[in-house]
Amino acid sequence: MSRKTLRKEPFNLIISGVGGQGNVLLSAFVGAALLNEGFMVSVADTFGVSQRGGSVTSHIKISKKTLYSSVTLDGKADVILGMEPVETLRALGEFGNPHVVVIVNPRPIYPSGGATYPDLDKVKQAITKLSSKTKFVNATEEALKMGNPIYTNIILLGSLVGAEVLPISKETMIPILEERFPGKLLDANIKAFGKGMELIANA
Amino acid sequence: MSNYRKGARELFEEVIDQGLCTGCGACVTACPYIVAYEGRIVVLDKCTIADGHCYKHCPRAHTNMNAVSEKIFGVPYGDGEVGHALDIHMVKSKDAEIKEKGQDGGTVTTLLALALEEEMIDVAVCTKMDEEKIARGYLARSRAELLECAGSSYEASFALEAYRSIPKENTEKVAIVGLGCQVEALGKIKSDPAKNSANPDNIKLTLGLFCGWALRPDIFHPYLKELCDPSQAVKFDIPHTPHYTFDVYTKSDTKSVSLDDIRPYINPACQYCWDMTAEFSDISIGSAGSRFPGWNTVIVRTKTGSDLVKLAKAKGILETQALPGQRLAHLKTMALKRKKTAFKNITDKTGDKKDLLYVGGLSEGIADKLSEG
Amino acid sequence: MNKPGAIVLLMGNEAVARGAIEAGIGVAAAYPGSPSSEVLTTIAGVAKQMNIHAEWSVNEKVAMEVAGGASFAGIRSFCAMKQNGANVAADFLVNANMTGVGDAGMVVFISDDPGGMTSNNEEDSRTITKWLDNPLLEPSSAQEAKEMIKWAYEVSEAVNLVTFVRGVTRISYTKSNVVLGELPEKKEKKAFFPDLWDMYNPKKSKFTSGPFPIFHKPLHEKLEKAREIFERSTFNQYMGPEHPELLIITCGACTSYCTEAVDELKAGEWVGILKLGTTWPLPEKLVAKHLSTTKTVLFVEEMDPFVERNVMELAASLLPATCDLTFYGKRSGHLAPYNEQSTNLVIDALVDILGTTYQARDLSYDEEAKKAIQIVPHRPINMCAGCPHRATFWAVKKALQLDGRKGFVCGDIGCYAMGFTGPGFFQSRTMHAMGSGAGVANGLGNLRQFGFDQPVLAMTGDSTFYHAVLPALVNGVYNNSSFILLILDNSATAMTGFQPHPGTGLLATGDPAKVVDMEAVCRAMGADVRVCDPFDLEDTTKALLSMIKKDGGTRVIIMRHMCQLVKARRKISNKYRMYVDRERCLGDTCGCDNLCTRILGCPGLMVDREISKAAIDEALCVGCGLCADICPSSAIIREEASDE
Repeated sequence: MSRKTLRKEPFNLIISGVGGQGNVLLSAFVGAALLNEGFMVSVADTFGVSQRGGSVTSHIKISKKTLYSSVTLDGKADVILGMEPVETLRALGEFGNPHVVVIVNPRPIYPSGGATYPDLDKVKQAITKLSSKTKFVNATEEALKMGNPIYTNIILLGSLVGAEVLPISKETMIPILEERFPGKLLDANIKAFGKGMELIANA
Repeated sequence: MSNYRKGARELFEEVIDQGLCTGCGACVTACPYIVAYEGRIVVLDKCTIADGHCYKHCPRAHTNMNAVSEKIFGVPYGDGEVGHALDIHMVKSKDAEIKEKGQDGGTVTTLLALALEEEMIDVAVCTKMDEEKIARGYLARSRAELLECAGSSYEASFALEAYRSIPKENTEKVAIVGLGCQVEALGKIKSDPAKNSANPDNIKLTLGLFCGWALRPDIFHPYLKELCDPSQAVKFDIPHTPHYTFDVYTKSDTKSVSLDDIRPYINPACQYCWDMTAEFSDISIGSAGSRFPGWNTVIVRTKTGSDLVKLAKAKGILETQALPGQRLAHLKTMALKRKKTAFKNITDKTGDKKDLLYVGGLSEGIADKLSEG
Repeated sequence: MNKPGAIVLLMGNEAVARGAIEAGIGVAAAYPGSPSSEVLTTIAGVAKQMNIHAEWSVNEKVAMEVAGGASFAGIRSFCAMKQNGANVAADFLVNANMTGVGDAGMVVFISDDPGGMTSNNEEDSRTITKWLDNPLLEPSSAQEAKEMIKWAYEVSEAVNLVTFVRGVTRISYTKSNVVLGELPEKKEKKAFFPDLWDMYNPKKSKFTSGPFPIFHKPLHEKLEKAREIFERSTFNQYMGPEHPELLIITCGACTSYCTEAVDELKAGEWVGILKLGTTWPLPEKLVAKHLSTTKTVLFVEEMDPFVERNVMELAASLLPATCDLTFYGKRSGHLAPYNEQSTNLVIDALVDILGTTYQARDLSYDEEAKKAIQIVPHRPINMCAGCPHRATFWAVKKALQLDGRKGFVCGDIGCYAMGFTGPGFFQSRTMHAMGSGAGVANGLGNLRQFGFDQPVLAMTGDSTFYHAVLPALVNGVYNNSSFILLILDNSATAMTGFQPHPGTGLLATGDPAKVVDMEAVCRAMGADVRVCDPFDLEDTTKALLSMIKKDGGTRVIIMRHMCQLVKARRKISNKYRMYVDRERCLGDTCGCDNLCTRILGCPGLMVDREISKAAIDEALCVGCGLCADICPSSAIIREEASDE
C-alpha cells in the first residue's frame, strides 16, 4: 500500500473532454501512475459511439483501502481536469461542489449540427464560480506552437501533475511516458509534459 | 420590390408545389439548395433563410408588376395588350448564314451578333440544344457560338441558370435572350440583385421571345424518341394557323404530328401565364405568321432596343417593314386573349377574383378589364 | 506478463483475457462488438507465445462453432461477444446444450451494454442463458472476472455444458488493480476427436443433438448438478448483520454500487447485502436461507429483473414460509429495467425504502450549478473529419433527390449507422441487426407488383459485408430483388477499433491473410458491380444515378476509400491544406446559409462568430478537401500541402 496520503478517501478525479482529444490515453497514464504509487484505482471512460465527436468523460477513483466503482457520485468530484470549456462546465453541473479544484484548457471545440456555442467568457466565469480554485492552461495553443494539436493531452498531464492535487510525482510519470512512446516521439512528449508543468506553475 | 419576407419553403409551397413553375431557371445556381435536373426543379437540402432571392426573383412568386415596369421603362404597368411599346415592325435578317439557321427571320441572332461585334456586349445568355435536343442555358461569346444557339427548342430550358453562373466579380457586358417568364425574372433581379451573382447592371440588352407555351423536357423527350432519333433532328417548328401541327425536321425527312398529340407534354404552369410577348424586354421578337414566312414580328420597347435596330438597319444586316394593320390587330387580339385566359385560369384556381396568385402591383382598373368576358 | 502475484491496472476485458489464458485455453474466437472487443485483441497479442489459435471470425455464430469444434476435440476454448452476438449464435447454442461440450470446457463471455452506449439496442443476455439451461456467472470487478473465467472451465467440464460469464460495459471497460495468477505450463496441447469405438467414452464420440427427448432430460440433470456446485461457491457472499432490516440481493457491477450506497448512507448496521456471483441456476438453498432472515428485500441488478423474478419464483415455491416478505426492485419501480444502474440510483432507492434523507452537496451550490449548465450545448456524435462516409452520404443524398422518386437507404451497423442522423443527412431510414440493411432491402425490392417504384439502397460496411450480408446478397440475386447494395469499404472494422477482417489481408495476430476479394465475390454471385471513390463526388453521384436508373435486379457499388483514422495510424496524410477565402464566403446570407457548417457538418469546419463566416478549425481539419467541392461560392480553397 502507498505511503503517500490521500486528501480524501476515496478521491475522485474527472477528466472531461470531446471525443478525439486523447482523454482515454490521459486517464490510462494517470491510472498507471497511481497504481505505481501503490493505490487502489478504478478508471472508467465512456467509449465507442460517444467518441465520434461526442462528450467523453473519464472517472478515476483512488483509494488506499479498497476498490470502488469508478463513476463519481453526483456532487462528489475532487478534481476536474477539463480538456474543453463547456465539457468542464457540464462535468461541474453534475459532479461539482464548493470544494472542487478545476484545471481547464479554455479552447472551444464547436459541436456539429449548428448548436450555438455560448460566449466563452461566460463559460469561464461560470467555471470559476462553481469551483474553489480554477486554473486556465492554454494547452491547445502551446500544442499548435509545438506543431501538432496532438500534444494537448500530454501538456495537460504535465499541468495535472505539476498542480500537485494528486499523489503523483513527475518521477513516477516519466517512466510511464518512456514505456509508451518510442524514440523520437518520446522527446516531443517529454517536452510537452514539461511545458504543462511550466504552464500550471504560472497560471 | 416584393416586400414579402419569403424564402425557399414558400417558393416550393406557393410556386413549385402549386404547379406554377415555368422552368425559367431564376432560382437555381445562385442557390446551392435548388438545382434543375431533367426538366424539374429539385431541392437538395432545406434552407433556413426567411427572406431569399429564390423567392424574390421567381416570376411566379408574388410580383409587383408596377415596380418592375418602373424599373425597366420608368412608367407603371399599363393596360396595353402587348405591353409597353415604342415601335412594332416586321423584321428579317439579311445575313444569309444566320437566316438559314434562324427559326423565322433570324432577327435575334443578327442583333446579338451585331451587339457582340460592336462590343456593346461581351457575352450572350442563350439556349442551346445538345445532341439529344435537350435545351440548356448557354453563354455565347462569339458569332459561331451564337449560331449554335439559333432555332427554337419549344421547351423550358432553365436558361437563366447560365446567367447566374457568371461569377460575382465578372464585369462582362451581358445580353440575355428569354421567354416572358425569364424576362420578368430579370426585371425582378435588376430591382433586387443577389450579392453573390454578377451585378445585373451589366445586363445591357434583353431580348424577349413571343411564347404560347413551353414543353416539359422530362416528359416530352421520351415522346420525341418515339418519333425519331433526336440526334438526327435539325429543327422544330409550329407553323401558324391554319396549320395545326408540330413539325420535326430531321436530316432525312420531316415528321408532322397534330398539336393535340403534343398537348400532354406542355408545362401545365403555362396556363397561368399572361405574357405572350415578353413585356419587360428591350426588344421582343416572334414569328410574323404563315402569311409572312421568313419574317419576324418585332416589338421595340426601349431606347436601347431602338438604337440597336437602327444600327442594324444602317449596317444593312436587317430589313424592316411596317407591320400591316391587320397583322397588328391580330397580334393584339391574340395577346389579350392570352391575358384573359390566364386571368380565368388563375381565378379559377384561387376561387377569388381578387387573388391573382403571382400577379400583384396592378394599378386601378387593369385587372377589372381582364375579368370582363 | 509472467509475474504471478504482480498487481497491474487492467480493464475488465483484459482481465477476462488473462483469465482465459491462465485457464490454458487453446482456441479463442470472437467478432468485434463493443463492449467486448478488447478481449480477443488481448489474447491475440500473446497467442503465439501461449500456443493459442486466436481468430476474428466473420460473425458470432461461426465464432461459437469454431470454439465448439475445439472443445469437442479436447482443447479448452473461449468466445467473447456483445449482447447481440448471443442472438446471432443462438441457433448453434440451442443445439450445443443438447450435445454438450467435449472433454475440454467451453466458456463464453458476453458483455451487455446497459444504456446502449455503444449499441443499437439494449438487451439483457442472461435470459438467453436461462432459456438455454446453461450455467451463468456474473463478475463484480475485473479481478473477479479473471477468477470466474478460470473457474468457469471447471464448471463447464464438471457439468459438460457451455458456461457463460456475463459482464457489462462498466466491468469490461473499468480499469482497476488486478493480481496476476500463474500462467499454465507450456505443455503440448493435444487435440483429438474421440474415436467412434472409444470404449471408455461411449457418450463422447459424437456431438449430435438428436433424438431430443433423450438429450433434453440429461440437460436438466446437468443444470441441477451445476446448482449443487453453486450452493458452495465462494463467489456468492454476504456482508452485513445476521438479521438485516433490509436485505439487498445484487450481482455484477451493481455490487459496488450497493456497498458504496450503504456506506454513503451509513446504513451498514441494518442493511445486509447478498451478492450472487452465480446467477443461474440460483443457489436456492443459500438464497432461501437469507430470505428467512429478513422481511424486506431490494433487488439491484442491471436491466431485466432477472434475479428478481427468479428469486420471487423461488419465494413463491417456498410459501407459506415466505409470505411476510416485501419485495422491492424493478417491479416496484424503485429501479428501472433499462439503462445503467449507479451508486446514486441505489442511494435514491434506499432513501425511499429506509425513509432517510441524503444531500450530496450544498443546496445553494446545487441550484447555481443547475442554472449554469443551461448554456452548455448538446454535443451530438459526428463522423470524424475526413471520413469517407460523409462523402458517400452526400453523393447518395444528391442522387436520390435528383432522381425524385423518394428513394431511401436501409441502414446497418457501423460508423455509417450515423446515416439516420444529421451527420449522414438523415438518409438511412431503417436500422436493425448486422446485415439487416441488405435483408430489408431485399424485401422492399420485391414490391413492384404492389405499385412500389421508390429506389431502394442498402448500406453495409466492409466488415459487416463478410459478417452477415453475403446470404442477403445471394438471396437478392436469386429472388431477383431490385435494390442497390452500397458497400462502404474503408479497410477497417472501424467503429469497434479497427480490427482486421477478410478484406484487409491481416489476421488477428498481425500475420498476413488471404484477401477474400469483395468485387469478385459479388460478381460471382451474379450482381452488377461498380467501384467508386466517394471523394470523387461527381463520378460517384453519376454512378449512383446511372445505377438507380437501371431499375432492376441486385446491383452493387463498392465505395472504396480508407478510413481517416486508419490513415492516421498508418501515417498516411491527406494531400491538402484548407482555408476559407473570407471575401468569397457568404456565411449565413442568402445563397449559402452556412451550407458547410450547418449541413455538411464536418468537425474541421467552424463558424467564425465575429464575421459570421466559415473557417477551418486547424486542430481538427485533416485536409481531405471535401468541403471545397461543396462550397457554392468556391470560397474554400485547397492547396497542395507541403510535406512535413
